Amino acid sequence: MGNSVSRALGKLFGSREMKILMLGLDNAGKTTILYKLKLNKIKTSAPTVGFNVETVAYKNVKFNMWDVGGQERLRPLWRHYFPATTALIFVIDSHDKDRLDEAKEELYSIISEKEMENVVLLVWANKQDLKGALKPQEVSSYLQLGENLKNQLWCVVGSNALTGQGLVEGLSWISSNTHKK
Amino acid sequence: MSQGIYLTDAPVRRPAPVGNPLLRKVQRACRLSLPEPDLALNLDVADYINEKQGPCPRDAVIAIVKLINSRDTHTAVFALALLDVLVKNCGYPLHLQISRKEFLNELVKRFPEHPPLRYSKVQRLVLTAIEEWYQTICKHAAYKDDLGFIRDMHRLLKYKGYVFPKINESDLSVLRPSDHLKSPSEIQKEQEVAQAAKLEELIRRGRPEDLREANKLMKVMAGFKQDNANEAKQTIANELNKLKRKADLLNEMLSSTDSPDLQDDTISSLYSNLKGAQPKFQKIIEEEHEDDNLVQDLLKFNDTVNQLLTKFDLLKAGDSTSASQIHPSNIATSPEPTTIGSSGGALAKEINLIDFDDDNETTSSSPAPAQTGSGDVVADLLGDLSDLSVSSNSNAQNFGLGGSIALGSSQATTEVSGSSNLDLLGGFSSSGNAAPASAALQGKANDFDLLGDFVRSSSAAPSNTTILVNESKNLKIEFDVTRESSSTIKVKTFFSNVSSASISDLEFLVAVPKSMTLRLQPQSGSFLGAFTNKAVTQEAYIDNAQANSPNPLKVKWKATYKINGKSIDETAIFILPKV
Repeated sequence: MGNSVSRALGKLFGSREMKILMLGLDNAGKTTILYKLKLNKIKTSAPTVGFNVETVAYKNVKFNMWDVGGQERLRPLWRHYFPATTALIFVIDSHDKDRLDEAKEELYSIISEKEMENVVLLVWANKQDLKGALKPQEVSSYLQLGENLKNQLWCVVGSNALTGQGLVEGLSWISSNTHKK
Repeated sequence: MSQGIYLTDAPVRRPAPVGNPLLRKVQRACRLSLPEPDLALNLDVADYINEKQGPCPRDAVIAIVKLINSRDTHTAVFALALLDVLVKNCGYPLHLQISRKEFLNELVKRFPEHPPLRYSKVQRLVLTAIEEWYQTICKHAAYKDDLGFIRDMHRLLKYKGYVFPKINESDLSVLRPSDHLKSPSEIQKEQEVAQAAKLEELIRRGRPEDLREANKLMKVMAGFKQDNANEAKQTIANELNKLKRKADLLNEMLSSTDSPDLQDDTISSLYSNLKGAQPKFQKIIEEEHEDDNLVQDLLKFNDTVNQLLTKFDLLKAGDSTSASQIHPSNIATSPEPTTIGSSGGALAKEINLIDFDDDNETTSSSPAPAQTGSGDVVADLLGDLSDLSVSSNSNAQNFGLGGSIALGSSQATTEVSGSSNLDLLGGFSSSGNAAPASAALQGKANDFDLLGDFVRSSSAAPSNTTILVNESKNLKIEFDVTRESSSTIKVKTFFSNVSSASISDLEFLVAVPKSMTLRLQPQSGSFLGAFTNKAVTQEAYIDNAQANSPNPLKVKWKATYKINGKSIDETAIFILPKV
């Protein structure tokens, strides 16, 4: 009851709620980003076995952020988190050049799923603080999203989970590009 | 507004086309123009769901319950027919959906608070469906714990005064678990589908407790695949054992008379069971080719099954002479273990006793008293003992109450654990062919000889004078074994105190193999003065111990007593001499 009232009010004032799925290879920094956004703290975390969910409010949007572990054996389970996703955030370790190929492959296998054809895609080129990390533009051209994605909105943003650089920009891009629904 | 029939510019009213192919299929299966529920269309929906999984089961169920609640009886009946087909064909993912609280509430939305005098057709069908689920998947499914809300709804309706219709036995049997042999990959596939469905449902619900469980489930799905593999192995082993019993049974039934009744339900169901399992053997062997033992076992078993099937076919063709030729050479009493191989052997072992350790060393030169034996031997024996049914009767006031605990079946040779086999056995014993059962075991005679030797060589002389069971530094236990009838053995136990201190609170427990029944009489006392000879006695009767049984009768005993204020346990296995 209270829930539905607040939802109705929310509609009046334009506040929204959306499910955001955050994926990426292991050690890309998904969990660190999540808790930086939620708590504004750096929480050193062990590799995620399973997933974390937190609600992050930004302006008038409530982001339900799902951070699912990226280890190889967890990846087949990603698809169970696809239903009802509004936006996909794919986190890439820009410093780990050896695994960029792997990351690209995983990214394409996610967005080619039918359930994901209507989501907006945000790529966080993470770990920009490290020396020798690829710049967002380099990551973007490596991923070749422009050539391969016809109907989907996408964006590559450089980020640094430790300082929080790029995180808010990313979320605001998502919220401004998912207006219609 | 003018009345009458006329064409307008507005398009003809049709059900709005839906984008989702699943919903389209559901609507097509329930559309008004069909004269009756169309099984092909319904199965098409089921196939689609099975193929796509993901959100499909949920979407389908939501669409269907909406149709069930539509004002149109026709559509509602069709929707219920479709639901029935889905429940029977889509397995766990769909069962999980119909056990959701929201779904069940929606399903009975049109039920008044108090039951009406007459149920509408739809109400009757809904009640039938719930009753059916309640009697089948809620009771038998491996994951019945996830289906609690169906039970709750059933209870609630009953409480409100609704009466559930009686369900056809044949309808129920469809949803009962079938014990088919499956290859490891099939079992794992099934597990994965079920776990995935559960994970998605938990994520969808999204309450904190659901998420916690989802996290746990994810770990299981990702981290411990090995677990699943092991479980699959276990399942296969169980199913194989069931099949072996069936093979044995069929063999006995076919061999019992010259012209067995091939139309007999039991025989034909055994036949089709075995035949149906055969293609799986190959599949399992392909998948599990590293596991040498399993492969060997399967190959041998496959031979046996082949012979049995050939025999059945020959009998069916009326060629009973060739059929009877198969019999002696392959199955019945061949002394070499090679031909009947592991099937007969494994089976006999299986049927045999409780799981005593099979090596003779452990069953042991006159039993090792607990306090002298090394630690793990004691633990071992005690561990074994805890598996057994122990009859305890130390105090006189127990008399007539709990003297005997009977477990297991009454057939000495056909010990069955799977409940699904029980009816088969029932059929078997009612056909009155008890004799071949023991014949089938004669192949084990050589085994017995060994043990016989062993019994003779170790202390016990097979006569009906008293035999020493055990003598520790305190307590001497002797048995006097006599045969009362062809199936009953009487064992009189004498206790003597060989120490200089008195023994009190003496308690003596005996366990027999599960196929037999023990009637333990009360002890004559529980106190033994210093150096008293045979001061306490106790009688026990073992029923169903066949005189011609080839296997030596083993009993496990345990004595506890207090001496010098210390409690002492002694336990061991003892092989009774043949009487």
